[in-house]
This record gives sequence, C-alpha cells and structure tokens, in this order.
Amino acid sequence: MGANFESKYLMNKFLKKKLSIISFIFIPIIFLWHPNWLGFLGVQPYWPLFWLLPWSMINGSINGLVFGLFLGLILDSLTLDNNFSQIPGLIFCGFLFGRIKLHSDILVGHFRYGLICSFGSFLCGTIYLSQILFGNFSDSNSSMFIPGVKNILVEVFLTGLFAPFFCSQLLRMLKFSRRKLQ
Amino acid sequence: MLDIRRISSSRWWHKKKIWIYFAIFLFLVFVRISKGSLYKDFFYFISKPFWPGQFQKEVILKTLNQESLIKLNLLKKDNIRLREILSLQKSSNNDNIVAAVISRKTGGWWRQILLNKGSKDGVEIGSTVTGPGGLLGIVSNTSLLTSSVTLLTAPESKLGVWVDRSQINGLLVGSGGNHPSLIMYSKDADIKVGDFVSSSPASSLLPPNIPIGIVISIDETLQSNKTAKISLLAKPHLIDWVQILKVNI
Repeated sequence: MGANFESKYLMNKFLKKKLSIISFIFIPIIFLWHPNWLGFLGVQPYWPLFWLLPWSMINGSINGLVFGLFLGLILDSLTLDNNFSQIPGLIFCGFLFGRIKLHSDILVGHFRYGLICSFGSFLCGTIYLSQILFGNFSDSNSSMFIPGVKNILVEVFLTGLFAPFFCSQLLRMLKFSRRKLQ
Repeated sequence: MLDIRRISSSRWWHKKKIWIYFAIFLFLVFVRISKGSLYKDFFYFISKPFWPGQFQKEVILKTLNQESLIKLNLLKKDNIRLREILSLQKSSNNDNIVAAVISRKTGGWWRQILLNKGSKDGVEIGSTVTGPGGLLGIVSNTSLLTSSVTLLTAPESKLGVWVDRSQINGLLVGSGGNHPSLIMYSKDADIKVGDFVSSSPASSLLPPNIPIGIVISIDETLQSNKTAKISLLAKPHLIDWVQILKVNI
C-alpha cells in the first residue's frame, strides 16, 4: 500500500517536472495527427506557436529562439519538402514572443494570445510562401500564389481562434511546473 | 309538427345519394382540370412491375458487362504481350501492397499522407501509390514501419503525364492547391476541357495507364507554353486504404 502511494507520488512529481517536455513531444504528434474536425478548408491552425508562445514568455527570447529552432527541425523532418523550411519563421517567432514578456506582462491579456499567435502565424506563413515562390521562380508562379495566400489567411484565422484556449492553459501549466521546480 | 318533419325530410338536399354524385362530379371536374395527372401517377405505380423495358434492360446490361469484361481481359493480355516486346514497365497486380492511411495532410502547405506500411513490408522510395479513382502520389520517404507519400497536389510534385485524346506528353506540377497544373511545352498543343489525363504508356518511372484526372480549365496567356488545371480523380482527403505499386526498374 505504502509502495503504491510512493510510486504514485513519484509519478506525479515526474509529470509535473517534465510537463514542458511532455507538451513539447505532443506538438509533432498533433502535427502528424492533423485532426480534420479542427480545420477549415483543409487547413489546420499552426500548432507549434501554441507551445512556443508560453514557453518563450516564461523563459525569454534566447530560449524561445533555441526552441523555435528545435521545433523547426522536428517539424521539417516530418514534412517531405526538402527545399522549404519552417525554421526561419519559428526562430523569429520564438525570439519575438520572448520580447513580449520583457516589455510588459500586463499587455498580454487572456484573449491577446490570439492576436499574437495570429501575427506569428502570418509571419511563418509569409516566410514559407516566399520560400515556395523563390523555389519555383521559373515555373507557374501565379498558380502557387493564390493557394498560398488562402493557406495563410485560413491559418491566421484558426491560430487566432484557438490560441486563447491552448496558450492560456499551457502558460498556467508551465508556470506551475516551474514554480514547483523552484 | 309531424307535417313539417315530413316535408323537410323530402327535400332533395337531404338525400345522401345526391351528395355522393355531387362529390364524384367535383372529383371528375378536378381530374379534367388537372388533365388526368392523378390517374397517370396512379397508373405509373400499378403498371411498374409490367413495364416492358425493365427486364430486358437488366439482361442487356448483364450481357454488356460480360462483353466488356471479356474485352478487357483480351486487351490486358494483348497489352502485356506488346509491353514485353517493347520492354516497357509492366502493370501487374502481383506486387501490390495494400496500406492504410494513418495521417493525412491534404490542405495547407504540406500535402502528404502517411501509410502504415514501411521498408519492413517492402515499400521503396519512388513506388507509385494509387487509390479508388487513380494515382495519388509517389512514396518519398520510408521508415521501418511507415512510408510518406507526396501527393500530386504538393508544390514539389512534378510528374510526366499523358493526354489520352491527343496522345501528347505534359508535365503535371503541384500548385499547393487542390488542382495541379498541367504544363504543355508547346503553344500549339491540342488540349481541351474534359480531356482525360493518365500516366504515360511509355513512362519508365510510373506504371502505364493509371488514371490521373480531367482537364477543367486552360490558360493560354503565356507566350511559350500552355497550362491547364486538372481535377484529380482520386480524392486523398476521403481515401482510407491505398495500394502501393512496387517499382520494377
């Protein structure tokens, strides 16, 4: 009975300690899972930003930049495009999200996560589209531009819509695990 | 009092029979105005089992199906014989691997599907993936247990295809949207809306004659070439099971 209680306690402690890592591992899984019922016109919200925003806000710009790079590396490995990368957008967003914390914490209200994530998604989408357009410069450029703009707009909308739910929960959880650690 | 009762019971409108006749008359007036539509519809239902063409139609369709199957088998045999003579790619069903779609990205930036069969099951990079309707894409990456397929709609997808009616080759390029572009490197290329596009019979990379799609619009504004939008026959966002055709190079 005592051993069982102890193992449960240790398990809980481990989960609380490693919450940030566990949630980090879940991003590629959701990215692969691609739940259609959460999408619109076949496009999904940009999942990595939901994790990157709270993480960068808590740990700062440099940490956000590094984890933006890590996320980009993982997500690039899951997609088949060898010529285009998500790393530049995520690095930029990680750095930017870290700066938000430094300036003023009050500015970031519950529903402002949506606005920030929308902006981040717009940045990442634009950087990705510009890579596609440069990569296919000689081919039919115009035919790739219109679907690309549609993707950016839908992604911005969905990311902004879901960000208040996910980001506020993750921020609360990450802050909690950090406090426990300290 | 009794007299009154007797007189009133003898009125014509107290006779039930008259009202029945009146109702029949009204019904017939309605039938006349509606030009017998009720009759005709009623007759439609009662005569349905005795329609002359029904049984005949089934027999004819059955015979036509049998005829088509026999013809198809003969053509298949003929095709295999001719391809052996020309030493081209074979399209046999013996090397097919059936796989389930475990992850799909059919909208947005990344257009790919993940299958539950990998290098352990003999899937190789470059294998063709087909589903109900026709060609879906090409295997671009394999792990031990899974394989990733680049869909025809992905921006990095480029395939040589064949326009069946005019018998000319073109390049099918994914645009990131739902309709890939077919580029014909000649301004005079004979291509029309409704033309059927398939994999080239002379291709050395893809199995021959796999249906791909139908031309839905043509853009002739470019100086050097003609481009067309293709509506794909296979719908990757709906398909749960696919076939992987092994490469025979």
